[in-house]
Amino acid sequence: MADRNHNSKSMSRVVAIEVNGEHHEVTVKPRHMLVEVLREKIGLTGTKEGCEQGVCGACTVLLDGRPILACITLAVECDGKKIRTVEGLASGETLSAIQEAFLDQGAMQCGFCTSGMLMSATALLEKNPKPSLAEIKKALEGNLCRCTGYNGIVDAIRQASGEGVDPIFMR
Amino acid sequence: MSELNYIGKSPRRKDGPDKVTGRAVYSQDIKLPGTLIGRILRSPHAHARIVRLDLSKALALPGVKAVITVDDTKGIKHGFVETPRYPPDQEVLARGRVVYVGEEIAAVAAIDHLIAQQALELIEIEYEILPAVFDPIEAMKSDAPQIHPSHPKVKDELPYSNIGGRTTAGWGDVETGFAQSDYVREDRFESQLRTHGYLEPHATIAHWENDRLNVWTSSMGTSVKRAKLAKTLDLPFSAVRVHKVYVGGTFGGKIDLYSHEYCAARLSMMTRRPVRIVANREAIFSAYRHGQPLAMEIKTGVKKDGTIVAQQIRVINNSGGYRGSGVVVIFLAWGFTMIPYRIPNLKFEGLSVYTNYPVRAPQRGHGCPQIRFAIESQLDKIAEDLGIDPVSIRLRNAREPWEQLPNGDNVHEAGLIDCIKMAAEKSDFLKKYGKGRKTDGTIRRGIGMGVSGYFGGSLIYPNGSGVIVKMNDDGTPTVLTGGIDVGQGSETIISQIVAEELGVGIDDVKIISSDTDATPQDIGAWISGMTYVTGNAARQAAGNARQKMLDIAALRFNIDVRNLAIKDKVVFNRNDPSQRISYRDIIAYSIATRRGDTIIGEGFWRTMRDEPTHPSLATTKGRWSENYAFSCQVAEVEVDIETGEARLVKALTVHDCGFPINPALVKGQVDGQVSMALGHAFLEEVTTKNGYTLNPTWLDYRMPTIHEMAESDDADVITEQYNVGKPYRTKEVGEGLVSAILAAIGNAICDATGVRLTSTPFTPEKILKGVRKLARESKH
Amino acid sequence: MILYDFEYERPQTLAEAAGLLAELGPGARIMAGGTDLLPNMRVAIAQPTTIVGLSAITPEAPRVDADGAFRIDALTRLATLTDSEFVRQRLPMLAEAARVVGSNQIREMGTLGGNLCQDTRCLQLNQKHDFQFVAPCYKRGGACCYPFPQNKPNICWSVYMSDVAPALIALGASLECVDQSGARRISVEDLFTGGGLRPLNLKGGEIIQAIVVPPPPSYFGWGYHKSTRRGGLEFAIAVAAATIRLAPDNVHCAEARIAIGAVRERPVRALAAERGLVGKVPDAAAIAAAVATAVVEVSPLPHHDFTKSFIVDSLRVHLRRVLSRAVERARGEIPTA
Repeated sequence: MADRNHNSKSMSRVVAIEVNGEHHEVTVKPRHMLVEVLREKIGLTGTKEGCEQGVCGACTVLLDGRPILACITLAVECDGKKIRTVEGLASGETLSAIQEAFLDQGAMQCGFCTSGMLMSATALLEKNPKPSLAEIKKALEGNLCRCTGYNGIVDAIRQASGEGVDPIFMR
Repeated sequence: MSELNYIGKSPRRKDGPDKVTGRAVYSQDIKLPGTLIGRILRSPHAHARIVRLDLSKALALPGVKAVITVDDTKGIKHGFVETPRYPPDQEVLARGRVVYVGEEIAAVAAIDHLIAQQALELIEIEYEILPAVFDPIEAMKSDAPQIHPSHPKVKDELPYSNIGGRTTAGWGDVETGFAQSDYVREDRFESQLRTHGYLEPHATIAHWENDRLNVWTSSMGTSVKRAKLAKTLDLPFSAVRVHKVYVGGTFGGKIDLYSHEYCAARLSMMTRRPVRIVANREAIFSAYRHGQPLAMEIKTGVKKDGTIVAQQIRVINNSGGYRGSGVVVIFLAWGFTMIPYRIPNLKFEGLSVYTNYPVRAPQRGHGCPQIRFAIESQLDKIAEDLGIDPVSIRLRNAREPWEQLPNGDNVHEAGLIDCIKMAAEKSDFLKKYGKGRKTDGTIRRGIGMGVSGYFGGSLIYPNGSGVIVKMNDDGTPTVLTGGIDVGQGSETIISQIVAEELGVGIDDVKIISSDTDATPQDIGAWISGMTYVTGNAARQAAGNARQKMLDIAALRFNIDVRNLAIKDKVVFNRNDPSQRISYRDIIAYSIATRRGDTIIGEGFWRTMRDEPTHPSLATTKGRWSENYAFSCQVAEVEVDIETGEARLVKALTVHDCGFPINPALVKGQVDGQVSMALGHAFLEEVTTKNGYTLNPTWLDYRMPTIHEMAESDDADVITEQYNVGKPYRTKEVGEGLVSAILAAIGNAICDATGVRLTSTPFTPEKILKGVRKLARESKH
Repeated sequence: MILYDFEYERPQTLAEAAGLLAELGPGARIMAGGTDLLPNMRVAIAQPTTIVGLSAITPEAPRVDADGAFRIDALTRLATLTDSEFVRQRLPMLAEAARVVGSNQIREMGTLGGNLCQDTRCLQLNQKHDFQFVAPCYKRGGACCYPFPQNKPNICWSVYMSDVAPALIALGASLECVDQSGARRISVEDLFTGGGLRPLNLKGGEIIQAIVVPPPPSYFGWGYHKSTRRGGLEFAIAVAAATIRLAPDNVHCAEARIAIGAVRERPVRALAAERGLVGKVPDAAAIAAAVATAVVEVSPLPHHDFTKSFIVDSLRVHLRRVLSRAVERARGEIPTA
């Protein structure tokens, strides 16, 4: 077993990350996860913590375009990287197509999984604008939802991909 | 009836934009300067005496600001149930003895997580391990380890240990009933330990400031949280403010007081700084409150046409180390037995048994999924044995509109019969039924049906909901409601009702909700009454405000108020539409000339207006609800008979919700409950050994992923209607629809394979075992 | 969150990483995607004093070497293996195995080398130990075993769960490992000790650099199945991976490789079952016999709440189906990729 010293302190270091197009320099220790940095130091609380274990997907953000789990990503590994969170999906007041689709299809109820879902869905549609149902499921298998049963979420992605699904909520 | 603008339509969720942009603030997102981190010391033993507890090293660690044990509390107990028969029985921190793994013993507040964790590790504690018991049948034995003395009312009648509570109910004479039956069968069913699986972990931040306690916590009702915090902290209610936050899913697991909420508050009172405690997921899966495992013994006698003559039921709840909601689930199991079908003779007994497990909480349906699974499975078996199809036997027994229930309630416009007929027709049930077992190949398809009933808005503190509608100068309303949106869409529903009653646009309605200082009391989001109770209160409040504005307009025009009509925030004289005044001008007029009277509408609603309280949990005497919902659900499953792997392919839910206020929100509730039911049916189980939880992670507690998603269709049977200005009756859709579909899945598996399973989950092992047994039997 | 302070280095090359490991000693661990190491650090199974992160090193693209073998950089992300046309066409079995690992996010973070180096798992091990299973088990350096209390101290039955390793073994793949002193080549099978306490045969300071897969011969077919309770996200009940090479007559089996994963402390070759197929026509009867032999010789451990008999039942069906697919592919009856 490796050594662990309760009292040892590590050096803090400055990490430069771009979040939703804005440049940030944050002071972190190696043990700080990206999710803590986003939520506590930068103040973007849209990314949620559901488990700390890298399973539920509530902390999903895009790192250089790839959907990753911020709760098991060291902040120090993100130096020089571009990160997108749910706060970066809209352009000003204009929601992205997938955000509108989520509202149209009832793809969220309690909303806690929603940020992570939107990021996984955004990454999917950017890579594969017309995904099949199997591809949708594969892309979102790491995002747990307890409220919706996933039906509304699938319909939202299909709507956003232009599959001609009608909204069930009225604008 | 005039055209409705919002009721019955599906406007977008009010909280939708916040949730899709990340703006929605949940308890873990609240930031206060100077916040300390709180952590809880939990018992590593299932049953033990605390022999020595020394906090000195923890207190001495730099960065630690406070450490508490039960000695730092007022010693005031709390409980899910607090009645004379079932008084509060749990302290906020263990006193001298722990009765489950994970029970809270002490709490620390420190400047960061590392120091808080180190402080916990510095607490010196010695235990004397006591014998523990985990199975309720074992716990009932006279020589079982005593967790708590059996209930005084039960002790003298029954020779059982560890009884937290007992429910007995019945009517008629079951022995005569069985004697008169053409066919009697007895079966035993079991439903496993499951948990809620809300994505948002429990999170609380408490701040004691200026002699008042401010709390942000993940809950199902701020009124209840305030009450329990105030009581256990020995503070006046008005000194405790529970603030509004968004809540990330609850399903019954965030109702009553949790130790960490008390601890955050107490630690803040001692340190004068905000204290935040967020539960980690392993602790939630292993030490927080799960749903109730039930063992159910059902004996049913029927005539040869399938009509139920008599039923005898015993339910045993594995209730954990304190009473929790165990005494409620055994009462509810009776309730959910007697709602859907006529049972001329009934004998019911429920026992809630202490075991060395964490306390239990309600879980969506609160006994209904378990008992309907049992009853509907047995009914299908009875039907099969008698050569009756599953639809006919249900129609024969289903309650009809306006039937009187044995407890004195009435089912009013019960739509159950129409639900069954519609479900059978839409699913093409009788064409598909009975085909699965005849096919070759390894994948068998089956169809099954289940029926359920539920109740809405029964009486429990605070019994009723108040709503206030304040008119703003610009003619739009601000609604103050204690109603809390936990995902079900209460803010949207209330907005729709207020918009409809006031004739304003739904975007004009602002909601201020679930803040115990600013908003009136509310029954909470856990008694299936938000739409019916809080909604009617909102209707009344809006109507009250509307009437005040009409009165002012009548005064202004000097005409009879009955000649006035409203359209688009304008009041006008029906006989001379040129006489018109906008809401804005009414308000301005009121301020300028009517002594500045504000225009505030007040509404209040509760169910069971003639009843002082809820029925007796122990005897079931007393009227329970004026609002019964009904449903029939059909499941289509696929089973691989080589591997036992099975899945839900399609679910159809036909429910009598009265009428849907927002059909898309109802669909969301249906989809979510179908998902929860398939998890219950196939995947989910909290597995334990000697009181320890083996699978306290999302990986190993198997909630449905998107792969498990089933096709989910729903249809309403409309039995009520909405008229502006009149009370309405909607029936709940948020909890009752887990039950019949669970039963339907069990029945569908039997249709597909011939295997009748009597315990959930329906694992591949159980299915394979059943398939093999049938294969062996068919050879003989 | 990880509740202790550790140091972090970020070398620019693998050689630099190897040098750092040599310098820092056994307290240092390398980290690729971190999807195994970081959760294990959170529950204090691993507690390195320094993490040597490899994320600054760009992996080479998968390619064919001069001798026709496929070379995959160990730092290749699993998502790259599933997305890459090259891998899907030329090494479809590897693409399929990578496709079922974890979740989409895990595949975007995790690497092939990292997946092979994952630690063994057990329910009581892979959770926090604040109040459950507090006394360390053998694998945590302590004196007991929770799921198998009768096991002696050198026996740890935690299970090796990699989805990809059985596929690589069935493909006959090998690994290039480097450290400060040089490089060596070992078969993927030889990566494993077969013991749960120290599952990997890597020397201190040694890093996997590349995975080398021999070119598939003619009349070659593969089959792969990961059985799980849900459609994704989880570790396996069992992984069945098989390759079949038919003789030039396209009828008789010339070579068979069967590797079963997630049932023991290492992936297991079903050698007797393989031998039983060689020279035979791999029809339903021969496959059934091979499966019957395999489940006995593999002797699965109960793990993650699955009983041995259930795992055997699952394997019986899925291994049979896997072998049938492999034969169909070898015969050209179904497409290989």
